[in-house]
Amino acid sequence: MRLTKPLAVAAAGALALSMAACGGNGGSNGNGNPSANQTYKQGGNAGAAKDATAKGPAQPIPNATGGGTVTVLYPSPDTGLATLDPSPGWSVTGNAIEQDLVARSLTTFRQDPKTGQMTLVPDLATDLGQHNANFTQWTFTLKSGIKYENGKPVTAQDIKYGIERSFDTGSLIGPGSQYSTEYFLDGDKYKGPYDKATKGQDYKGVTVSGNKITIKMSKPFPDMDYWGSFEAMGPIPSGKVSDPPKYGLHPWATGPYKVQSFQPNQQLVLVKNNQWDPNTDPSRHQYVDKWIMKFDQDPEKTDQIALSGNQASQTTITTSILAQNYADAKQKLGDRLVQGTQPCTSFLYPDYKKISNIKIRQAIGYAYPYQDAWAAAGEVVGVTRVPGNAILPPGLNGRQSYGPIDGQQVTHNTAKAKALLKAAGVKPHTYTLSWIYKKDDPQGVKASQQIEKAYQAAGFKTNPIGVTGSPYDTWTNPDDKINKSLNIRGVAWCSDWPSGLTFIPPLFQSNQLYNTGYFSEKSVDDRINQIPTMPLGQQAAAWGDLDKMIETKYYPAVNTGYLNVLMTYGSKIGNFQNDPNYGAPNYRDIYVKK
Amino acid sequence: MSHQLEQLEPELVNDERPVSATREITGRSPLRIAFGRLLQDKVAMVSLAIVIFFAVIAIFAPLIASALHVNLNTQSTCEVTDCNAASYGYGLPLKGPPMHGFDIHHPFGIAPQNGDDNLAYWLYGARNSLFIATMSTVISTAIGLTLGLIAGYVGGIVDRSISFVTDLFLAVPYILAALSLAPILDERFAIHPALQAKVTFWSLIGILSVLGWMYLARLMRGEVLSLREREYVEAARLVGMPTRRILVREILPNLVAPIVVAISLGLPAYVTAEAGLAFLGIGIVGKPSWGQTIDQATNWWQRYPLYLWEPVIGIVLLVVALNLLGDSIRDALDPKTRR
Repeated sequence: MRLTKPLAVAAAGALALSMAACGGNGGSNGNGNPSANQTYKQGGNAGAAKDATAKGPAQPIPNATGGGTVTVLYPSPDTGLATLDPSPGWSVTGNAIEQDLVARSLTTFRQDPKTGQMTLVPDLATDLGQHNANFTQWTFTLKSGIKYENGKPVTAQDIKYGIERSFDTGSLIGPGSQYSTEYFLDGDKYKGPYDKATKGQDYKGVTVSGNKITIKMSKPFPDMDYWGSFEAMGPIPSGKVSDPPKYGLHPWATGPYKVQSFQPNQQLVLVKNNQWDPNTDPSRHQYVDKWIMKFDQDPEKTDQIALSGNQASQTTITTSILAQNYADAKQKLGDRLVQGTQPCTSFLYPDYKKISNIKIRQAIGYAYPYQDAWAAAGEVVGVTRVPGNAILPPGLNGRQSYGPIDGQQVTHNTAKAKALLKAAGVKPHTYTLSWIYKKDDPQGVKASQQIEKAYQAAGFKTNPIGVTGSPYDTWTNPDDKINKSLNIRGVAWCSDWPSGLTFIPPLFQSNQLYNTGYFSEKSVDDRINQIPTMPLGQQAAAWGDLDKMIETKYYPAVNTGYLNVLMTYGSKIGNFQNDPNYGAPNYRDIYVKK
Repeated sequence: MSHQLEQLEPELVNDERPVSATREITGRSPLRIAFGRLLQDKVAMVSLAIVIFFAVIAIFAPLIASALHVNLNTQSTCEVTDCNAASYGYGLPLKGPPMHGFDIHHPFGIAPQNGDDNLAYWLYGARNSLFIATMSTVISTAIGLTLGLIAGYVGGIVDRSISFVTDLFLAVPYILAALSLAPILDERFAIHPALQAKVTFWSLIGILSVLGWMYLARLMRGEVLSLREREYVEAARLVGMPTRRILVREILPNLVAPIVVAISLGLPAYVTAEAGLAFLGIGIVGKPSWGQTIDQATNWWQRYPLYLWEPVIGIVLLVVALNLLGDSIRDALDPKTRR
């Protein structure tokens, strides 16, 4: 059954983690086709914009009218949401829906309807937080008059409880495992209100006085204002009402919409929340009467609905399109086929201990058949997948575009791969590369065959291993015997916000879960620990420099492209925009045309 | 087998009306008579020709493929299919259908998005489908026959135990069994892909046959229950013939007709079952099969219909031919049910 393919198919079985994407990229929506050898300008600063003084209500969208029902179809393998609980929310699909429509948090993003640029603005807090000099203490002030959907007031204690829940590493594991436990005080000890060890304990890291919420850190955390935009950093009523897993079926909404019905991984229906006060919200609108989100739909069917232009499809959004229908869709839909950027990079991650010779890693980079593998995997080459060079995807602060090997962009080049192998002292067809692919996904199988052919042409021996289920189950399990036998793994990573902090440490610090190549260099680790302590203004550039240093000096990971999404919307949908933080529709500002 | 001859005699006379009185009447076995009837059945002969055609393809697939200069080798996608996103034919072959005319080097065209040769995959797909179906039929028939004979003839506690096991197996849905077995085998043999391919191939045959013998066993048991009370069996028993000999020499020959019918109707069922499992992604891996091609081709139906037609026509033709042939054999063996 081919239902478990995560968000974006990457070649070599490197499948995109559907981790929340919080990056910025000045909305370059659907503007033609980036050619295969496209190069990127230095990373934009769109998502970096902050406006601490933004006040509700949000500026009205020109010509927007109220009313109507919007249907959003999520084609397989996107199985949507298993739970609506804010604490574990860490997927592109889920975060976009929850943050835009249902769950408010300390801060949030606002999109400029003209440029598509994202700006960080206060949400439940009155500003973007006050911090001390070295970013180890942050204070947020809760706006007054915020209510849940049932009319009960949101208190600062509820936000504290929400933060406490983000420490859960059990059934509610989510982005908090990356940020709360890493940066907040006692993050290594405190396990949230449901864990046996810390149940009933008062968490010392967050103190509440009146409407003021003060968070103490264990080490400098300059990006707390960005982390505050996650629904996990929002209010959750304490006590029995919010016990998991039941709370995940119907969380108390604070946003403009509340849950009418929810079948996990199948369907979600949202209706207007009359307790939401637009005057407190600087970014969200409430134009649409009702949202119907259908998950795990047959992709061929959703494409045909999008292309048909019939009455039902006029108010329908689809969040991806099959490669074979791309040309058709471009012709029939025109601007209503939207190419949305995602702040994501896909990597091949050779095992740093097993393939310790940099020349062999570089040979792999040249041997990899980028375009062939993408095409076979069902990507639209140059549209949903574009060649990459730097670790940080376009749009991240401080990103530099550089050539990882000899100052050159790495492309499929069998001759160079052979030469590097020879230079490494490896006789042709003696060195075995072993990787996994999803054998229950026909396109994954075909992509793996392309890669095998190219490696063999470059003089490697090959041993691809077919697995079912997510490859991350194998890659992140150190005791898995298949995993032990591999010497090439992969990872596809999306930034949580446009800072290198959400990208480089999880992938290139020693002993991180998603450092699937086991890359470990002390100089890199030290620098990763040092950058967050630097003055805020220098951090972005420092991450960009570190990015370049890692790839040019060690070449631990082969960049297999940056990701984009293709979305379509019906003729009666107004103000459809890609949210470049995610690569998902920006639901906040959509309206139905009369 | 005299008892059956008696039974069939009146029918036989009816059937062979034009027999002239002058022709010498020779003794013919019921099977030969049935075979004679089959030869005159045009539908049966056409079906047989089709089945033989596919059997030849299955047996000689590698030879045919090399004679036609096609192979299963992976082609570099972007060398043979359109990788230009701006082009209307994105993903489709650069030569041959559907965007261009017939390509002599790839008579069936090539697959979109990866450039595999369709003919080679079709030939080897036929080979794998038929091999799996044939092996499963043979094994399941052997199991069903043995257990049915024993249960029916021995009776008592043996009969009750075997009947219970039969019912138990009937309760197991084969898709569920295949679904649950696939990950177990994955886990066990994952590190050795070549071995894994072999294991999954044979385990599929195993699943299909282990879960496919029950109906035949029940049928056999019923037949044997009535046969064992017949005089000639009693006589053999009185003479002191050993049970094994009674089963093989006295009872089995009278079961040839239902066995042949079961086989000829079982074969197409296995072909479709294999395709169905492959379509679900839990069939064989690492080898081509029609089911897999259909799975890949369904999404291309709009843009490249030929890609889907090829395996579908193959399966439909083979299964319909096998079914019609099975019906004809049944009719020939048991003229009373003739329509």
